[in-house]
Amino acid sequence: MIFQNKAFDTKVLRKTVLDMAFAGSTVHIGCAFSIIELLAVLYRNHLRYPDNDPQALDRDYFILSKGHGVMAQYACIRELGWLKDEAFTGYFADGSDLKGLSDSRVPGLEVTSGSLGHGFSVGVGMAMGVKLRGTDQKTYALVGDGEINEGPIWEGALFAAHHELKNFMVIVDENGFQAMGSTQEVLELGSIQAKFESFGFEAITIDGHNEEAIDNAIKQLWASASVSPKALIAKTVKGKGVPFMENNNMWHYTRLDSETYAQALSAVSESEQ
Amino acid sequence: MRAAFSDTLVRLAKADPNVLLLTGDHGYALFDDFRRECPKQYINAGIAEQNMVGMAAGLARAGFRPFVYGLAAFIPVRVVEQIKLDVAHDQLPVIFIGDGAGFVYSHLGTSHQSTEDIACTRAIPNLAIYSPADRFEVTACMDKAYQSKSSVYLRMGKSDRGDVHSALPELKAGSFLEVKSGKFSNIAFFATGSLVSTAIDIAVATYPDATVWSAPFIKPLDSQQVTAICKQSKGNDSLPPPLYFIKTFFSQC
Repeated sequence: MIFQNKAFDTKVLRKTVLDMAFAGSTVHIGCAFSIIELLAVLYRNHLRYPDNDPQALDRDYFILSKGHGVMAQYACIRELGWLKDEAFTGYFADGSDLKGLSDSRVPGLEVTSGSLGHGFSVGVGMAMGVKLRGTDQKTYALVGDGEINEGPIWEGALFAAHHELKNFMVIVDENGFQAMGSTQEVLELGSIQAKFESFGFEAITIDGHNEEAIDNAIKQLWASASVSPKALIAKTVKGKGVPFMENNNMWHYTRLDSETYAQALSAVSESEQ
Repeated sequence: MRAAFSDTLVRLAKADPNVLLLTGDHGYALFDDFRRECPKQYINAGIAEQNMVGMAAGLARAGFRPFVYGLAAFIPVRVVEQIKLDVAHDQLPVIFIGDGAGFVYSHLGTSHQSTEDIACTRAIPNLAIYSPADRFEVTACMDKAYQSKSSVYLRMGKSDRGDVHSALPELKAGSFLEVKSGKFSNIAFFATGSLVSTAIDIAVATYPDATVWSAPFIKPLDSQQVTAICKQSKGNDSLPPPLYFIKTFFSQC
């Protein structure tokens, strides 16, 4: 089996994130919620893990460069059965394998990230390796919009275009916020699509919470005859799925208590799919 | 030294197609042979060292054996975090070559001098540090690094001050190599990299009976061997005890 044939129900994924964040009393809930639909579509329809093996040599590479959203990836990995349930219930406890930022020793996580601007370059290297080998593996690097303040992103973008890494796709989680405020307030980014296009990428901007739009855009980019690397700019909402978290940057840092946990759970279950 | 480096790299790359050379737009003339013999294994990553090291990690994860070349002021000092997080964290088989380590590029000024490289890299877990003294040690260190299938920083002093060996030495991880034997063992010199030949010159001029040891490894170090040499070398009336030199060696590294 190559494709996972799992539901990756976004309500279930958000519930897993809330359960983990409450169990471990951890932060970065908003960062995880903005990428739930993106990950659901990738894992459901695009990422190929032969024999459901996260180490398969001919797998596609998915790199969560913005390690702050790792709870969303843990939630998907839970669906895939790559970790035991105890890993989730014991999240952030002493001795837990699952850390607050992504760690390459966890099955399915390709890089150790959280220091921003690293995973993109690792992904470019993997895509270069794929090109040298001549296989059809795809490499995806998901970066935050705040993350693209980092210089190595643009160093890697130059390289990817120069070497025509057509099997490399950057996905930008454009939720409009970074740690200390909106991206507009901190360091104006302008048009992210235009920036990647000017670096030689083929780029599409979509609603990052519309699963059909995400799926179609990914298919459209891969179907292109161009040798350019690809950029999918996903307009998202930080904290998406829980109204009191949406576009409220406090939920980059705030921990759940019993009350907010219950409120968030009911908001997720009542939300539209 | 650089010719030995180039020859060894070409030999390794011809034997293993997974060997890649990445350079940050450095190495004028140094890679002529490599580019002629193994053009598909040569990647000029541009003047973009951070991305180059991240890519090397990705290439290693995809099964390749990258050698990452730069001037020591840039590889490793500019990219310490990429080495720590992207490469050494998982002990990926990436070999970093820092050329012109120390004060070799003294006349170019501060930007190209590299006196921090050992201090920066010694603190990184899982990263070995090799520091060859002459062309023979360069070849032996390159082979050792390749065989280790692990993360290695190899600093090249570059300045050729002549050979300190007459043949390829056999390397044992962490061990010192005797490059000048002493009639008496009261005094011992330790040196590494380009300064080994200088240490021999000083020994010959000042304490002709002294033993001189080359340290092709900075990390790991065989501490038992260091202790044994120190115990044998009791110093003399006009010199501080040998511990002084050991401390000096480590502080200067």
